[in-house]
Amino acid sequence: MYDESNYKIEAKAYSASDTSVSPAEEPEQELYHSKSWWTTYVFSQDAKYIGIQYICAATAIALVGLILSVLMRVQLAYPELNVLDPTTYYQSLTMHGMIMVIFFLTALFLGGFGNLLIPLMIGARDMVFPYVNMMSFWVFVLSLLVLMASYLVPGGPTGAGWTLYPPQSITSGTPGNLWGLILMLVSVVLFIVGFTMGGLNYVITVLQSRTRGMTLMRMPLSVWGIFVATIIALLAFPALFVGGLMLLLDAVLGTSFYMPAIIATSNLGKDLSTGGGSPILFQHLFWFFGHPEVYIVALPAFGIVSDLFSVHARKNIFGYRMMVWSIIAIAVLSFIVWAHHMYVAGMTPWFGFFFASTTLMIAIPTGIKMYNWLLTLWRGNIRFTVPMLFALGFFITFLNGGLTGMFMGNVGTDIALSDTYFVVAHFHFTIGIAPVLVVFGAIYHWFPLMTGRMLNEGLGKLHFWITFIGAYMIYFPMHYQGLQGVPRRYFEMYDSVHATSSGLNEFITIITIVVAVAQLLFFYNVINSALSGKKAKRNPWNANSLEWQTPEMPPKHGNWGREQPRVYRWAYDYGVPGADKDYIPQNLSSKDIGKANVEKT
Amino acid sequence: MSRAIDKLPKGWGGLTSDFGSDQKTFKGMSWGKSMMWIFLLSDTFIFSCFLISYMTGRASTTASWPDSSVVFGLEVFGTSVPLLLIAIMTFILISSSGTMAIAVKYGYEKNRKLCAIFLLLTALCGAAFVGMQAFEWTKLIVVEGLRPWSNPMGAAQFGSFFFMITGFHGTHVTVGVIFLLIMARKTWRGDFDTGRRGYFTTMKSDYVAIEIMGLYWHFVDLVWVFIFAFFYLW
Amino acid sequence: MIQYNKQKVKTHKIGIYLWIWGLLFVFSFFSYMVDYLNFEGSLRWTLIVLFMFSKAALIMSIFMHLFWERYAIVNVLLWPMTLMMLFVWIMVAESKYTLLTRIFYFILGS
Repeated sequence: MYDESNYKIEAKAYSASDTSVSPAEEPEQELYHSKSWWTTYVFSQDAKYIGIQYICAATAIALVGLILSVLMRVQLAYPELNVLDPTTYYQSLTMHGMIMVIFFLTALFLGGFGNLLIPLMIGARDMVFPYVNMMSFWVFVLSLLVLMASYLVPGGPTGAGWTLYPPQSITSGTPGNLWGLILMLVSVVLFIVGFTMGGLNYVITVLQSRTRGMTLMRMPLSVWGIFVATIIALLAFPALFVGGLMLLLDAVLGTSFYMPAIIATSNLGKDLSTGGGSPILFQHLFWFFGHPEVYIVALPAFGIVSDLFSVHARKNIFGYRMMVWSIIAIAVLSFIVWAHHMYVAGMTPWFGFFFASTTLMIAIPTGIKMYNWLLTLWRGNIRFTVPMLFALGFFITFLNGGLTGMFMGNVGTDIALSDTYFVVAHFHFTIGIAPVLVVFGAIYHWFPLMTGRMLNEGLGKLHFWITFIGAYMIYFPMHYQGLQGVPRRYFEMYDSVHATSSGLNEFITIITIVVAVAQLLFFYNVINSALSGKKAKRNPWNANSLEWQTPEMPPKHGNWGREQPRVYRWAYDYGVPGADKDYIPQNLSSKDIGKANVEKT
Repeated sequence: MSRAIDKLPKGWGGLTSDFGSDQKTFKGMSWGKSMMWIFLLSDTFIFSCFLISYMTGRASTTASWPDSSVVFGLEVFGTSVPLLLIAIMTFILISSSGTMAIAVKYGYEKNRKLCAIFLLLTALCGAAFVGMQAFEWTKLIVVEGLRPWSNPMGAAQFGSFFFMITGFHGTHVTVGVIFLLIMARKTWRGDFDTGRRGYFTTMKSDYVAIEIMGLYWHFVDLVWVFIFAFFYLW
Repeated sequence: MIQYNKQKVKTHKIGIYLWIWGLLFVFSFFSYMVDYLNFEGSLRWTLIVLFMFSKAALIMSIFMHLFWERYAIVNVLLWPMTLMMLFVWIMVAESKYTLLTRIFYFILGS
C-alpha cells in the first residue's frame, strides 16, 4: 500500500485490439557508472561483464573437473599403472562430481548465461541490484578458492562422493573425513550465499523490470528456462544448506544429527560416544535439494535449445505456451520426486509407490518438450550452423538419457540397476553431455554478442563432431556395463568377473583422452576469434529476440542507448507469410511490418 | 485520493491480469521490497528444514527427550515457573514487532524523529532478546551441563538441535539489530528525506528501506513463533 | 525517486497496530497456558498449532501488510509452503518407520 503511491499507470487497460504499448509504470532505473579500471573490469556491476566473468570462472573450474575425470578413466582402464591410489581415486571422484554439478553447470547457466542474457532479452538496462550482483560473483570465486584449498589440508579433499552421505563421510577410513569435508561444506555454503544474492537479482529482474510491452508470455524461452531454474534453486538450496550445516556440526563439534547409535557401539573408527541420529535424514535433505538441482541444470538448457532451434531453423517454436507450462510443470514436479534416489537406502518401503508415480509423471512435460522441438524442426528451413548442430546433439543425447531414466524410476528395475554404471551412464547423458552441448552451442551462438566477432565455423564443426561422437562412444557402453552389474565408484575391478569389461574400459578411456584433447580446439577458437576473428554484422543470425536489437553490438553499458525498447510481439515470428524478411524482431511495431500476416501474441 | 493502482482489477482476476501484464508482475512494489520478500521465502525454507530435521530427530530416537517446561523453567521467588524466560522473550520479540510496524508508519509519514525513536526501541528489544537467549545458553551450558554433543538429561540430539536452531535464529536477530541501528542513524540524519547515497551501494536512500527492514524483522519474529511452538511448547 | 518524496502516503492509524499487538499477546498467553496447565495429547497438539498459525497469520497479514497487497505476491509467497507441508508429511512417516525398525531390531530383537 505504501509503496504504490509511486505507481503511475493509466487506467486504460491493454485490450486485444489495441496495438499500442502500455505507458511506463516507473521511471527508468539509475545505472551505476564506474569510474576506475577496477570497477569497470574487476568489480564490475554491469551484468554483461559479470556474466562473462562467471562463464570464465566456471569454465576454469570445469577444466579441473575434466582433468580429474581423465585421471580416473586412466586408472580404471590401466590399473597396473597405479596412476591413482584408492584414496586419491575417491577424492577425485568426489571433487569431479561436486565441481561439475554445482560449481560448473549451475554457476555457468544461472550466473553466466543468466547475467548475460536476462537483462538484454527482457529489454532492461541491467539487473535490479547491480551491487549485490557484483558481490555474488566474488563470493562464488571465494567458494572456488575454498574448494581448491581442500587439496592443501591434512588428509586432502573429502572422498565421500559428491553426495557426502554420513556416517561414512565423517568416520575414519574415508579420505579427507575431517578437514577435507569441512572445506567442502564451507565452500558449498559460500556458493549458496553467493548464489542467493545472484538468484534474487535474476528472479526480480524478470518479474519486475521488463520493458514496455514485454509480458511474461512474450519472453524468449531462454529467459523462462533460467528464470524458473533460479526459482527452483532459491527453494531447493536451503535443504542443502541445512543438511550440510548439520553434517559440518557432526564433523566438527561431534553432534549426532546423523550419527546413529550403532556407530558408537561398534568399532567403525571414530570413538563416538554420541548416538541416536538418523543417517537417512541427511539423504532426504540432500535429495530434496539434489533432484531439483538436476533440473536447475536442465531447464536453462531446455530454454536455450528452444531458441537455438527456432533461430537456426527459421521457424517459430512449436507450442510456445505449452513449452512454458511444461517448464513450470517440470519445476513443480521436480520437488516431489526426490526419494527415487533412495529406493534401496532403507527408507520406508511404501514411499516407493509414491515417488515412482511422481517420477514417471515428470516424463510427461519433458516428453511434450521433446515432441515440440521435433515439430519445430519439421519443415523448417534448417541451417546446419554450429549452434544448430549442438542443439541437435542435445536432442539426441537427452532423448537417450531420458529414456534410460525410466528404468531407474521404477522401483523393481532400480533394485538391479542402483549404484551400477547404468546410473553413471544415465546422469552423464542427461546432465553431462546434453547440457554441455547446449553450453557449447550457446557460446557459438552468443559469441558475436559478447565480442562482436564470429567464431570460426570450420573449427566449430570439427569440435562438434569429435565431442558428440566421442561422448556417445564414452557413455553408451556404460549402459552395457551397468546391466552386467559393474558397480559405480569402484577403484578397480581386481579379479572379479567384471574385469572382463576391461577391454571396454580401455576403449572408453582412449576416447575420453581424445575428446578431452579436442576441447583445446574450442579454446583455441575462442581465444583466436576474440582477438582476430571475422567481425560480425549486427544481428548476425537474423534473430528476433531483443539482445540482438541493441544500438551497438556488443551492447554498451546501459544496453539501449537513449530509450529502452518497446515490445509488440513474441520472440518467434520467423517465416511469417507476407513479411519482407523471414524474421520480425520483437521491437518492430505493426506499422513497420507491412503486409505480414502476424498473429496477436 | 484515487490512485492509479486502484483502477487495476482486484482479487483473483487481478492475479491473472498481473501475471499477464507487461513490465511489473508485483504492481506498485519496489524492487527492494520484492527482493526482500523472495529472500524471506528462501529463508523460510531454511528454517522449515531445520524444524523438520528437529521433528525427525526427536520422533525417531529411542532415547528419552527432556521435558522442555522443566529444562527451560526458572526459579522465581522460590517457586519454579515453567518456561518463564521463554515467555518473557516471546513478549519482548512481539513488542519489537509492534514498535517496528509503528516505525514504518512514521517513516512513511516522514516523521523523522518518531521513526528513529521507534527503530531504536525495536533494536533495544532485539538486543534484549539476544541477551536473554545468551543467558539461557549460559544457564544450560554451565548449570545443566548441556552441550551440542551430549545431554545429561536425555537424548544427545536435544542439545544439538537446541543450540543449532536457537543459534541460527539468534544470529538472524543480531544481524537485524545491527541493520536497525544503521537505519535509525540514517533516519535521524535525514538521509531518507534528502535521498543521500549509501556508502557501499551508492544507491539513493528512500523510506521504503524502512518497510523492507520491517519485513525482515517481522520474519524474525515469525520464525520465533514457530520455534516457540515446536521446540519449547511441544 | 525525487518526486516520490513529494507525494503524501496514506498510512494506517496507529490503533490497528496496538490492537494486533494486544491480540498477539493474548494468543501467546493462551499458548503459554497450554503448557502451564499441562494439557496433554492431541488437545495440546491442536491448541499449540492453532495459536501458532493464528499468530503467524496476524503478523503476516497486518504487520507485514499482506492483507492489503495484491494477490500476485500473496500467492507467490504462500503456495511454496505446500511443498514444505509435503516434506513434513514424508518425514513424519519416515521417523515413524525409523523408530519402528529401531525398536524392532535393537530392543525387541536383542
